[in-house]
Amino acid sequence: MGIWDAFTDLVEAATPWSTAEAEAPPPEEKESESQDKGSEESKDGDESKDGGESKDSEEGVEEEAEEDAGEEEEEEDDEELEDPKDKLEEACKNSKTCAPAKHHYDECVERVTNQSDDGDSEAKEDCVEEFFHLAHCATQCAAPKLWSVLK
Amino acid sequence: MLARSCLRSTRILNGARNGATALTKRPISSYSSGASSESPMKLNMTAAASTALAIGSVAWYYHLYGSTAQAMTPAEEGLHPTKYPWVHEHWLKTFDHQALRRGFQVYREVCAACHSLSRIPYRSLVGTILTVDEAKAMAEENEYDSEPNDEGEIEQRPGKLSDYLPSPYKNDEAARAANQGALPPDLSLIVKGRHGGCDYIFSLLTGYPEEPPAGAQVGAGLNFNPYFPGTGIAMARVLYNDLVEYEDETPATTSQMAKDVVEFLNWAAEPEMDDRKRMGMKVLAVTTVLFALSVWVKRYKWASVKSRKIAYDPPKASNRVRD
Repeated sequence: MGIWDAFTDLVEAATPWSTAEAEAPPPEEKESESQDKGSEESKDGDESKDGGESKDSEEGVEEEAEEDAGEEEEEEDDEELEDPKDKLEEACKNSKTCAPAKHHYDECVERVTNQSDDGDSEAKEDCVEEFFHLAHCATQCAAPKLWSVLK
Repeated sequence: MLARSCLRSTRILNGARNGATALTKRPISSYSSGASSESPMKLNMTAAASTALAIGSVAWYYHLYGSTAQAMTPAEEGLHPTKYPWVHEHWLKTFDHQALRRGFQVYREVCAACHSLSRIPYRSLVGTILTVDEAKAMAEENEYDSEPNDEGEIEQRPGKLSDYLPSPYKNDEAARAANQGALPPDLSLIVKGRHGGCDYIFSLLTGYPEEPPAGAQVGAGLNFNPYFPGTGIAMARVLYNDLVEYEDETPATTSQMAKDVVEFLNWAAEPEMDDRKRMGMKVLAVTTVLFALSVWVKRYKWASVKSRKIAYDPPKASNRVRD
């Protein structure tokens, strides 16, 4: 404990903002902290994207509703939990921007399945490249939307 | 040498082909006055032809050697991951420590079954992800070799904060044997160690399609993943919705878990990131102060130079010289 530490302690005591504690804080404080953080996050989202913020708040409302509701309902909700990534990418695949890629992929799948059905042998080509193009298009389109939904 | 002899031979050939005309031309061109007599048309033609030749040779070169030959198919290369807007990758943003906490939970409950995280000690989790008490309790769940006792035997002791996270397998060979020959890599530095970093790992974790595209060959014991080079990966899809239950009640969807665990792995790879960014800000702040100081000092030092007035005061010349 040098003279410098003493000074640092004095300054820390005087400053309005407090340093993060490594020790476990009392539970009440923790709750308020988490709420603060949640509000900060929503503020961040508010600055970047308006849509994200509104979704966050919606989610918050849903969560609170879940807490209030009984366990049975919670279990039902858990079963219905759907990955937003799958949903967004599916929408992106069917969107106009990815129409060419999807067209090529569908055509390729049809061709290859026909080949393997007719010849009873393994197909001469695969649709990996077409799949790549479609997946690339879909993920690219879904990325910003996904990040606005995820916490 | 070879080039020079080739040049010589072409000159000889040209000489032989042109024969007498070349001989007669030479003395004319050697006269300096003769050049002016050539028509501008001919000069223009020469210039145009030489330029065309230059462009043509460069174009031909690039036609031959310009594009590199790619022997890899797209499947062997793997699908390049999409760029995701990670917040912690911004210059002035830190890790989201709530996400780190969730990510550590995902690692502990899912990944740690196969993957080690051998470079992370419990003490580094304190203050960033866990509290001291939580970290201590977690460390004490595992047993480590202690110092030799009086009989020279090594006993087991509960873990301490200074211990490193335990690995699921004793060594690489044991890991291979347990995973059909595939070695689950250590995840301590995986974000730094893979091309694409966070984006790659997130895409890999969430990118398993329901079924491989038509015609794709998937080897025995492998799974199709477009982001893995070669598309055949030994790791099966592990993240499914509701696999873990987050303590902050975030809906545990696949992509949410993947995002959290990737952020945690990024923390594991560069735990100094938050401090590094703060240090960068400090450097910038100090530099601006020093710059401002230097501007003022410069003004002070140059004041005498800038505000001086140089006047030429002619000496009182004697009248004799003037006259």
